Amino acid sequence: MFFKSKPMWGKKTKLKSSYDVVLIGGGLHSLATAYYLAKEHGITDVAIIEKNYIGYGGAGRNTAIVRANQRTQYNVPLYKEALDLWPVLTKELDYNLMFNNCGNLNLMHSEAAMNAARMNIATAQFHGVESHLIDAKEAKELVPALNISEDITFPIHGAMFHPPGGVVRHDAVVWGLAKGAAKMGVEIHQQTEATGISTKNGKVTAVVTDKGIINTKQVLISAGGYSASLIHGFLGIKLPISVLTIQAMVTQPLKPILDHVVSSGAYHCYANQTLKGEIATGAHMDQWPNYTTLNTAHYIKHQAEALSEFLPALRGVRFMRIWGGLADMTPDMAPIMDGNEQVEGFFMDCGWGYFGFKSCSAVGRHMASFMATNTCPDILKPFALKRYQEHRLMGETAALVNYTPDN
Amino acid sequence: MMNRFNHLPTLKIDTSEKIPFTYKGKQYYGTKGDTVATALYANGVRIYARSLKYHRPRGLYSMDGECSNTMMEINGVPNVRTETTLLKPGMVIKEQNVKGSAENDLMGFIDKMDWAMPAGFYYDTMHKPARIWPVAMKQIRKAAGIGKLSPDHHMPGRYDEIFPTCDVCVIGGGPAGMTAALAAAEKGLRVILMEVRPWLGGQFDYRTAEYANRQTCHDRAVQLAKEVEKTDNIRVFTHTANVGAYNNNLITGFQVGTEKDSFTERYIEIRANSVVVATGCIERPLLFENNERPGVMQAGCALRLANTYGMLPGKTGVFSIGHDLGLEAAVALHDLGMTIPMIADIREDGQDPALLKAVTDRKITLLKGWVATEAHGRKQVKKVTLKSLDGTAEKTFDCDVLVASAGFTPLTGPLVVNQAKLKYDAHTNFFLPTDLPKKMHAAGRLLGYENAESIEASGQLAGLKAAYDCENCSIADLGEAKKIMESVPGPARGTKLVMAPVKGRKTFICFDEDTSIKNVKQSIDKGFDVPELIKRFSGAGLGPGQAGIPGHNLPLFTAKYQALPDIKIRPTTVRPPLVPTLIATYAGTNHTMLKRTPIDDLQRKDGGIFRNIGVWQRARYFSKDFTSRKEIENVRDRIANLLGPLGQPTHIEKVGRVVCVGGGIGVAPLHPIAKGMKQAGNEVVTIIGARSRELVILEDEMTAIADRCICCTDDGSYGRKALVTEPLKELCIIPGMTTGIFSGKPHGCHGGDQPVPGPNARKVTEKVVNIDVSNEAFGFSECKEFKVADTIPVKAMRLGCG
Repeated sequence: MFFKSKPMWGKKTKLKSSYDVVLIGGGLHSLATAYYLAKEHGITDVAIIEKNYIGYGGAGRNTAIVRANQRTQYNVPLYKEALDLWPVLTKELDYNLMFNNCGNLNLMHSEAAMNAARMNIATAQFHGVESHLIDAKEAKELVPALNISEDITFPIHGAMFHPPGGVVRHDAVVWGLAKGAAKMGVEIHQQTEATGISTKNGKVTAVVTDKGIINTKQVLISAGGYSASLIHGFLGIKLPISVLTIQAMVTQPLKPILDHVVSSGAYHCYANQTLKGEIATGAHMDQWPNYTTLNTAHYIKHQAEALSEFLPALRGVRFMRIWGGLADMTPDMAPIMDGNEQVEGFFMDCGWGYFGFKSCSAVGRHMASFMATNTCPDILKPFALKRYQEHRLMGETAALVNYTPDN
Repeated sequence: MMNRFNHLPTLKIDTSEKIPFTYKGKQYYGTKGDTVATALYANGVRIYARSLKYHRPRGLYSMDGECSNTMMEINGVPNVRTETTLLKPGMVIKEQNVKGSAENDLMGFIDKMDWAMPAGFYYDTMHKPARIWPVAMKQIRKAAGIGKLSPDHHMPGRYDEIFPTCDVCVIGGGPAGMTAALAAAEKGLRVILMEVRPWLGGQFDYRTAEYANRQTCHDRAVQLAKEVEKTDNIRVFTHTANVGAYNNNLITGFQVGTEKDSFTERYIEIRANSVVVATGCIERPLLFENNERPGVMQAGCALRLANTYGMLPGKTGVFSIGHDLGLEAAVALHDLGMTIPMIADIREDGQDPALLKAVTDRKITLLKGWVATEAHGRKQVKKVTLKSLDGTAEKTFDCDVLVASAGFTPLTGPLVVNQAKLKYDAHTNFFLPTDLPKKMHAAGRLLGYENAESIEASGQLAGLKAAYDCENCSIADLGEAKKIMESVPGPARGTKLVMAPVKGRKTFICFDEDTSIKNVKQSIDKGFDVPELIKRFSGAGLGPGQAGIPGHNLPLFTAKYQALPDIKIRPTTVRPPLVPTLIATYAGTNHTMLKRTPIDDLQRKDGGIFRNIGVWQRARYFSKDFTSRKEIENVRDRIANLLGPLGQPTHIEKVGRVVCVGGGIGVAPLHPIAKGMKQAGNEVVTIIGARSRELVILEDEMTAIADRCICCTDDGSYGRKALVTEPLKELCIIPGMTTGIFSGKPHGCHGGDQPVPGPNARKVTEKVVNIDVSNEAFGFSECKEFKVADTIPVKAMRLGCG
């Protein structure tokens, strides 16, 4: 045996009565924050509190696509940094995150969409992110299964091709970061539910859990879809977030047929092939706020109809599994990252909608710096909650797919 | 080709009709009624495929397609489950994922490399140095995946969809399901009965054991099926797999068409008032070394090969079982001519006395408290080692078939995907459904009943409960059925054994992903200590078989390995589709339901390029130049066609502040209104919207007259990405802001209308209508009804003020 099986994130320990920092939520943003707190700031007396198990929520339910082709000048650098971190993290963590740098292809189905893509590309290029506009024929060269004929509901005019993007094995990121953080002393407490935050004189004093009270001066809530309700429940802070169920699915495994991530706003569908050969596809979000993570009958059918049109070869594959997760959507489809503002010592990192995976590494790094130094890094400043009060919304909504009741 | 029985009452084949097919380029013949898998078996094929990771030989195991063992490429379509696919003349069948052939796979050596591939090994390897990863990744991609699909693959066949409704939907056409359907139908309700096999009968259908009054189970199945078929208010869908169950009893499935049907497969979506789930059980695999070697099969599989498909699974069969169905299969196969040197029964006691007598009468040795620990034979079973449960005594037997089955696993999928919970039950060793959703009932073997009478009684009760949901059954009738239920034998005791006393290096808990017991142990040791995490880390249950094989074994083993005092651990979450379903089938007819405008034909004749816009199909371009420059110029300078809203002349007065909201060409009539409002001394805010940047009109004009002009587009290509109602809402919440709202949206005439814009609009209109359209006769914002070209009745509104 090469590898002796040892617990990857340390032996299970008892929850202590105090930590320097408590992170609520065992998802990627927490894990990454913990990792960088320990690695770059030497803060290792950290506890991650997770109700279920690490990677239970969005971290384990997303379709693992990474890219930096967002729309606004605030977002692009953040995602670019995250994109650049995958190979670095693979090395640092000594854990293969399986970054498949295959590139993303966003299909455009009208001249107007092509124009919108031109703007996106200009933004990307301004920030040094590679992105090109290609026509339908070039798109077909990249993805031979694509149907570029005229007689489909939304004929393909062209595409925005973003070579630096791709797919990362999402579970590996969860486990790798957990391993890396635990190695430096971070404690990961699974099956432990945070039930409250105690404050005194406008300062955080403790986190209440079902396994006991933890005294701490700093707490971060980054619990994915559950963040908004926890933050409201614990501290009475109302966030402009609606939580929606988003669904994704995979087919049975196939030999390589799709070499790039393909997505289409008009068809409301994206598809990519995992290293195992499954076609992972999704995009649909329920139009009504809910925490159910339940699947709907019509969505899988819609997805089949969409794929039948623009990737017709896939009609011969079988869907194997569909699942749902939560997306916490803000009005401008950009996240809320803030700290020491409402309550001293309280930090939040939420409202990521369906972009939380792509950004986790870079955001964890900056949140760690924020928490360690109590100074908000410039890159995070535009994401403060205040922006809604000041009417400085991000305009990220025009990215790729929109969610309005008329979809 | 082996001789097939043709005298058994249970047979579903017609030996007089031969069906030709091609396998690996050679012609073979099957028999009418064969599945692809049984036709191959009859032709001597034993190794159907190689496994995903280790390229281990795999063969017929369950007959219900619970694993990828027998998936093949048929007529160019990959990953077809040959166990459930009926053989059709001329089928071209190929193996998948092999270098060479399934019998002689060049990749077979990987099986010996398992020491280098512990659970999750790929996360620890291939990234140092970083430059090898892209190369390694290419190889992984090539090695992974099972079937092959060409990018220009065209899916043959016709796919359809139906959306029936009913009072009661019964899932499962076995004895419990049929009884439930009959009970509900008798109460006058409309019933739909779905059965995954091509015929009704379930497990009764292939069993010749005695049922009651000298009737066999099979005869009883036939009798019930006849009753069901002659009941007019039961609609039966056979060869129909249930794939999903959703809120408020929306049940989805797909049906495989027969030669007589107009469809290859069709998607079925049923809205039912109440649902009965009687899906029965599959067998729980027995875990021992090489437990998936070709020749190892489950009891039901062996019995069905003989009774349904008319062939013996082999010459000599050793049995290692944990339930009476195993004993019954041994007796039946013995009577058909199979040599049975030994039955090892996991149970020390509790066997059916009649079956014990039958075994003794046939001089078959039965060892109680024994179990198979290893199957030998490089590619097929040649020998088997049996051990007493404590591992002290040992025997080996030569054989070509090893029937191995630890117990049963209830098929709770439809209940669980509709939010029922599972709870461990020590008596049956099942994870039984609790907290059933409203108007959903379970019946039959999935609740642990093995006695035939109990199965039917539970079906009767569930059928009446469903009728009660539909308010068609009295409490008294329900009470009667409950009383009967109490008088029949309860759920049978299930065997507890999870794994034979072995280390588990080559004991596979999941066939699809090649997850061995050793891999599961490694996962748990690494901290992945619940099935949900083991699944993600080791892959167990993530394969095409939808966790049919690891299903309940994984949580049972996990609990045992960690010595958990009570089994709080649950099986991994079951996800729809419960049976892998073709994208073509889900897409169904793939209708695009679109309306066409009255001048659709004309525009097509003029070379219009159409696009789907909302629910309408409209001419979007009239030239290949999609910037449409010429068309736009034409509208500006001369004429094109356009449209307008209905309504009364706008009442203009000073009210204070006014918001004027318009979308698309609705902005046009809004302009004079806004202008009027401004002139009347109001503060005017205009919100104009369009689908995209190029469709925004009159922005400059609006900005010129209004105090503020907000522009929105649907796709965000210009202004705000929002519906016009969004800024409106924001404006409305500022107190005192809004005192009047005017909408330029054409009410009730969306899409079908034709706009006639441009400076020459009146000139054109004059020529084709039978009324006076002069400035005086047809006022601004006026609405009139008349005929175009004396034939087409229209309602028209004047928008322009020129």
